[in-house]
Amino acid sequence: MPLQRKVFLTLLLVFATFSALSYTILTGVISPAFDDLDVSMAQTNLIRAERAIQSDIQNLEAVTADWAFWDDIHDYVRGINPGFKKGNLDRPTLTNLGLDVMAVYALERELLWGQLRIDDEEHPIEELGIFAPDDPASGVLTAHDRLESQTVGIVGTALGPMLISSRPILHSDDSGPIAGALVMGQFMNEAHMARLAQRTEVDLHWRLLERFAANHNIDLRAIADAGIHLETTGSIVSGFMVLPDIFGEPLLVLHADTPRRISVLGEQTVNVAMLFLVVTGVCVTIAIWYLLRGSILTPIEKLVRHIKTIRKSGDLSHRLTLNSGDEIGALAEEFGDLTSEVHEARKALLYQSFKAGKADTAAEVLHNIRNAMTPMINGLDRLAKSFKIADELRVDEATRQLSNPDCPAERAGKFIEYIDASFARIKSVNKEAGEDMNVVRSQARQVEAILADQEKFANVVPVEENIVVDEVVGEAAHVIPKKARKNIEVEVDQNLIRYRVRAHRIGLLQVLGNLILNAYESIERDKKLKGHIALSALDTVVDDKPMVRLTVRDNGTGFDEDMGRCLFQRGYSSKSKGSATGLGLHWCANAVAGMGGRISAESLGAGQGAEFHVLLPAAQGG
Amino acid sequence: MTSDDEHEHIRVLIADDDENILEAYLEAFSEPESTREMQVLDALEAELFDPDAEIEKEPHFDVVACSQGNDAISLAKQAADGGEPFDVVILDVRMPPGIDGVEAGSKIRELDPDVPIVFVTGFSDVPLEELRRRVPPPMKLHYFNKPLSFTQLAQDVASMVRPQ
Repeated sequence: MPLQRKVFLTLLLVFATFSALSYTILTGVISPAFDDLDVSMAQTNLIRAERAIQSDIQNLEAVTADWAFWDDIHDYVRGINPGFKKGNLDRPTLTNLGLDVMAVYALERELLWGQLRIDDEEHPIEELGIFAPDDPASGVLTAHDRLESQTVGIVGTALGPMLISSRPILHSDDSGPIAGALVMGQFMNEAHMARLAQRTEVDLHWRLLERFAANHNIDLRAIADAGIHLETTGSIVSGFMVLPDIFGEPLLVLHADTPRRISVLGEQTVNVAMLFLVVTGVCVTIAIWYLLRGSILTPIEKLVRHIKTIRKSGDLSHRLTLNSGDEIGALAEEFGDLTSEVHEARKALLYQSFKAGKADTAAEVLHNIRNAMTPMINGLDRLAKSFKIADELRVDEATRQLSNPDCPAERAGKFIEYIDASFARIKSVNKEAGEDMNVVRSQARQVEAILADQEKFANVVPVEENIVVDEVVGEAAHVIPKKARKNIEVEVDQNLIRYRVRAHRIGLLQVLGNLILNAYESIERDKKLKGHIALSALDTVVDDKPMVRLTVRDNGTGFDEDMGRCLFQRGYSSKSKGSATGLGLHWCANAVAGMGGRISAESLGAGQGAEFHVLLPAAQGG
Repeated sequence: MTSDDEHEHIRVLIADDDENILEAYLEAFSEPESTREMQVLDALEAELFDPDAEIEKEPHFDVVACSQGNDAISLAKQAADGGEPFDVVILDVRMPPGIDGVEAGSKIRELDPDVPIVFVTGFSDVPLEELRRRVPPPMKLHYFNKPLSFTQLAQDVASMVRPQ
């Protein structure tokens, strides 16, 4: 899988994981926290509503105490202040005190004065039902047996629940004796609840316990035990609290509804946060993608393409420039340096293997030819020995002494015997010489066979490749000795890097090296103070084929017309015997011809310098 | 080296992988064939022209030839074990497919520290310095390039073993 796709999928996976995690945290942790706040708010509202009711009860209790501990009403109840009723117990009194009922009892639960107001209309207080002698509430409201006795709270009446307060009637200094009981009450009607709602800013209601139980499937005992019960329905959190009556028995269920504003706000916040995170995640993912792509993936892809190109073309001189100062740029640089080194090593190895191959071949040829020549030499040795034997025979002297008339007959017979033996010896030596000649001939044929074998290898076509001219020329120029470089200016055309030829690298290197060496030696022979060698190239077309003409120009001795005709002939050298150092122009001409090219030379004459042109096929394609 | 009344006997071990060269060695190191006619001719010449001349004693070579380095080592060991070590060992350097002459010479040197070892080769890729190191001492080491006259070599070999 390509690296870009891998990275893209990884980023996508990271983004999806991040989104899922964010969603889980927002919905699983933060949203419930908002819900908890709403529930807490509902609980607070319910408690605040309950405290408001308790506050109203305390106010009622305070007003009741204010009136009950008063000498004037104490006297009135004892019958010694009849004017009190006219001045204080009238209709405006209830209105001013915000009361719905007020009753003054003398001892023995005797009702002295009482008033009930419903919608600004007076009603008998008996309608409430709680003052009837058989009503348990009457017992704790209409009489007190102790100075500190009081009855305060909520009481259920025939007309609805009511805040009620009752105190014994005492002197203004809270002293007795108890003259009677004062009762004050306020209905928990809609107007009262509206005031409470306005004061507490809580939407609250109450229901009688029996009715609430009939309409709701809620365990009232559990509410009573827990104190508060909360229910979340839709956009509202409903809180329920049981309120007891003056006897401590459950009477009312206080119900406060709290809109889930925090949850709604929280949900909106979570949604916005989620949207923000998604958008941010997308932006960050895209930014990371472009950053990775620009700084890592694309350079790596370029590097991989570069490596593949090198592998395909085999051209190790090709370099990649990323213009990047980071590690990948450094990697590309290092890789470039490495391939350059391998390129140089390959060239050196090629050259070395060429030389090693030549050395091996030379060693083998030397070994074989010398071995073949050894019996030849020894055969010739024996031939020489044979001829020497014939020369050493003294046949002439024996003949001369034989022709002497004074030679005794016995001695003459021995001379004749000697001459016969000598001829027999010569005949024998001739026979041996013939055998030795056969050996020499046989070995000569063996040498010829070895040379014929070498000829086959001489016809092997060297491997050709596309070569940048600049590389070979630069290398070939090193043939000029270092000490001579001060006096000889070598001018290499900067455009050589543009020219590429199809040739055998080592062969071309040797040809150019030979031409440059010739130019140097020509300058040396001319004893010029300042030598000049120029190396240039030119595109040209020969027989409709694109070619490159390489030129080596010098200001050395040059040559005349006659010399020009012989330059490339076998064995010709313009140098003095023993000073020739190169392979020779004949070899160069053959090598260039082997590469499908031509070599030529021109000069204006002796002392006018020379130009050597090497025409080679231009490289095609990569 | 042993000697009888007329000749000194020089024991030579020669190893070369080229049969033609071995043949040339044997030709050069063997005694010239002496037929009855040649003996008669020599006797007549001595009687008729140089009655007082002394006949020069030619060295006699006992040549053992082989074509591989390992064979040369075995032969040298057998000769040493038999109490008749070779007087001179002549080795080619390149003797495929077996070990080369330098290695064979090195092993033979271990067997016999005094025997002169002569390397005769068409081409050696072992430098002379290494030869000297591997087959010491230099005084007992000789090196010749082919082609050369084996007749001359035979004379050189004789001078190597002849008491100075």
